[in-house]
Amino acid sequence: MSTLNLVPALDRYIRAHRPEQLVVPPLIVLAIALVVLGGMFVSTGSPVRLGFEFEGGTMITLATDDSYEVLAAAFSEYPVIDLLDSGNRRMIKFGPMSEDEKRALVTEVNSDYGYATPEIKQMGAVYGASLQKQAVKAILISFVLMAAIIFLIFRTFVPSVAVVLSAFSDIVIAAAFIAITGIELSLGTVAALLMLIGYSVDSDILLTTRLLKRRGNLDDKIRGAMTTGMTMTSTTLAAITVMYLVATYSYLIVPTFPQISIISDIAIVLIFGLVADLMNTWMLNTGILKWYLQKPKTRRNKR
Amino acid sequence: MSTKLYKDIRIIVFVFFMLAALVAIYPSYDTDGGFSSRLQYGLDLEGGSRLQLRLEGVIAGIDADPSEIVRKEFSDAFGEVEILDQSESDIMFKIVGAGTDVEAEETPTKEEIEAIGYGSAFVRDDEITLTTSREYAIQTYLSKHLNCEVIYLGNDGYDLYEIRSTISKSELVDVLSPVGGSIAKDIKGKPVFKEEVTKKTQEMTKAILNEKLNIFGLKEIPITPVENNILLIDLAGIDLNTAQEIVATPGKFEIRIYTTDNNTTEHVVWGEHITAVDIPRERDGGWGIGFTVDGVGANAIRDAAVESGAVDDPAAHELVMLLDDKEIYSAPIAYELADNLRALYEKDENVPSYGLVATTGSGEEGRTKAAQLQVHLRAGALPVEVSVVGSGQVPAALGAQFKEQTVIAGLFALITVALVIFLRYRQKKIILPMIATSVSEVFMILGFASLVGWQLDLPSIAGVIAVIGTGIDHLVIITDEVLYEGVMPSLKVYLSRIGKAFAIIIAAAATTIIAMSPLLVMGFGALKGFAITTIIGVLIGVLIARPAYGRVIRELLE
Repeated sequence: MSTLNLVPALDRYIRAHRPEQLVVPPLIVLAIALVVLGGMFVSTGSPVRLGFEFEGGTMITLATDDSYEVLAAAFSEYPVIDLLDSGNRRMIKFGPMSEDEKRALVTEVNSDYGYATPEIKQMGAVYGASLQKQAVKAILISFVLMAAIIFLIFRTFVPSVAVVLSAFSDIVIAAAFIAITGIELSLGTVAALLMLIGYSVDSDILLTTRLLKRRGNLDDKIRGAMTTGMTMTSTTLAAITVMYLVATYSYLIVPTFPQISIISDIAIVLIFGLVADLMNTWMLNTGILKWYLQKPKTRRNKR
Repeated sequence: MSTKLYKDIRIIVFVFFMLAALVAIYPSYDTDGGFSSRLQYGLDLEGGSRLQLRLEGVIAGIDADPSEIVRKEFSDAFGEVEILDQSESDIMFKIVGAGTDVEAEETPTKEEIEAIGYGSAFVRDDEITLTTSREYAIQTYLSKHLNCEVIYLGNDGYDLYEIRSTISKSELVDVLSPVGGSIAKDIKGKPVFKEEVTKKTQEMTKAILNEKLNIFGLKEIPITPVENNILLIDLAGIDLNTAQEIVATPGKFEIRIYTTDNNTTEHVVWGEHITAVDIPRERDGGWGIGFTVDGVGANAIRDAAVESGAVDDPAAHELVMLLDDKEIYSAPIAYELADNLRALYEKDENVPSYGLVATTGSGEEGRTKAAQLQVHLRAGALPVEVSVVGSGQVPAALGAQFKEQTVIAGLFALITVALVIFLRYRQKKIILPMIATSVSEVFMILGFASLVGWQLDLPSIAGVIAVIGTGIDHLVIITDEVLYEGVMPSLKVYLSRIGKAFAIIIAAAATTIIAMSPLLVMGFGALKGFAITTIIGVLIGVLIARPAYGRVIRELLE
């Protein structure tokens, strides 16, 4: 597995560089990610593109071969804002409509228009906005609670900050990735960002515990933790990648299979978040810990 | 290790929970050869419709002087009012100027005053004494001018009211300013005005919707209250049109009266004229439900009561209430009401609205009946207006495909994980127990889900994936910690290592659980399943499955 082969290379890299040098590249990436999110926020009022659940609107997915033109004509009475493919189904997005229009549309796709198995999703703009606030709140509270637990577990300032900083960086980089690729923020992506908090600290806790509580040569301990940590991340990454492929592209093999957008969303965000986590755990977190443990004062206390 | 594997407490606990999960899931093949189990699936896997309803209402603190309300309301009706005296329960006033309805200086009668709706009146010469209270006067005033039901909730340093309609802060201020009233401020000086309804109102709306769904033959429809003003309804196997129709269409409520021969009934009024329904209250030892009818309803009841002869012989001409043509209540008109109605009829005066009480008897039985009647009276109208803020429809066929596809995705993911693990360890003795442990964790989550009867939906499945992911991570940690030198160490070292491994995974599990917990308490309806699965899964993993794994690999690798 390629990530497993990374271990010797990364190990050599860590041994050859001073801690300050290790933390610089991840911090640069974090800074770029923050700039991206900030730029998006300034230009659009939101750091990532908001999906239908947060912005409100109506989305109808039909199993049909009709061209976009035919569909646009069929629904010309309604405010169609976008037509796109979801697997081999067609997805139509509608702008704001009155209650009566919404009802008429639902009736039409369910009966008159005669398309088989329409999937319908509607969300009011006001509720979407409150959902948006809750999503931000959920992520913030999760993060703060996670940080509190980390401080409680390690009870030392620098190692705890290192773990919390890497988790923060994972989330920021994943969010910046969402922003750059134009993926819309959905309930699925929010769930993924929360999952990322959990996954991210797993390897960080392993690393920190091994380095703080074990005896032995620091670089050897890092290598040991890395062997375990890389296995962890690569199994998760492999599983998530497969999930992503099945949820997104299985229609290419079995034409009737729909795309499962919530799983697809979660998977793609996790894939990027986990790649960011590899960098943050083994460069940022490791760099900070190495610096902390090599300080003369700390060494005296530890031995 | 000294104890035998099957005597080890970790293994016993593990086996026990696996069997419990098996019983809970109860997998079986039915006669058609199809697989069935006790697992329940959510809408996105089963097909059906989902509605997210927002209950439109406002909870506001109100500051107002009842005498100012009386002054305004009675001046509008009869001419300029002079307040003579005011106490907690009475307001004494007289009409001094010319009004629009009645000729100047003529003192209105008791009935005319009571018809305005602020309480019972006593008239002596030109002095009118109105028995009312501050809360009642404010409630009635708001209800009349905002055209909706208003409920007094109690005093919390200020009078708190639930206004069952969508109104803005400025609309409320506009209604209050003619009587010198205002929105009360809390200790921090912030106006008390929240766009939400009370838990009670939410519960009542839920109960009435349930009743309606029952009438449509839909049993056990999950209605989930979220926050203070949202209800989520999942209707399996029903398309969105039908779902909206059921929720939006009120039941047909009718009041009829027995005519002369006491065997046939005559239509009096439809449920749409009932404007407000109170909560069950005990009066003079008996329970009852107060409700208000609008002008049309009040006139219809007045005419029917007199023309049928009910005012002279109430017992022979009972009023009957029907819901969807089923009789749900009948009782004679009270004598006092009969007299009142007769007087109104003789004057042929239009009544703007009228409050009635349906009594249901004393004791626990009376209370239960009152509560039922409340729901039935309500079936004509939900206590608050609802608006559909979100909805969705998943066709059954699509749901079935989702189900199939998630199973395939899960299996492929598992195979991939097995492959990666194999590349790392290259030992069957490690891979098999590891994969088996992971599968057992999923099995126990499903067992738990089926035991508590919670519905698996796509977000819960995402939660299961998260658990598989962290689960494998933790098994890797245990394995690497124990096999630090590549071989199984002595018992003493093994025990200390397994302790260290669990210190790491318990810390990691605690962070995951804590990170998910906000989703449980916040009304994030859609992600609750995700959070529950993740938390339960992590607990099952750390407490049941992973300890057993730690024990088993020792046995296998020794």
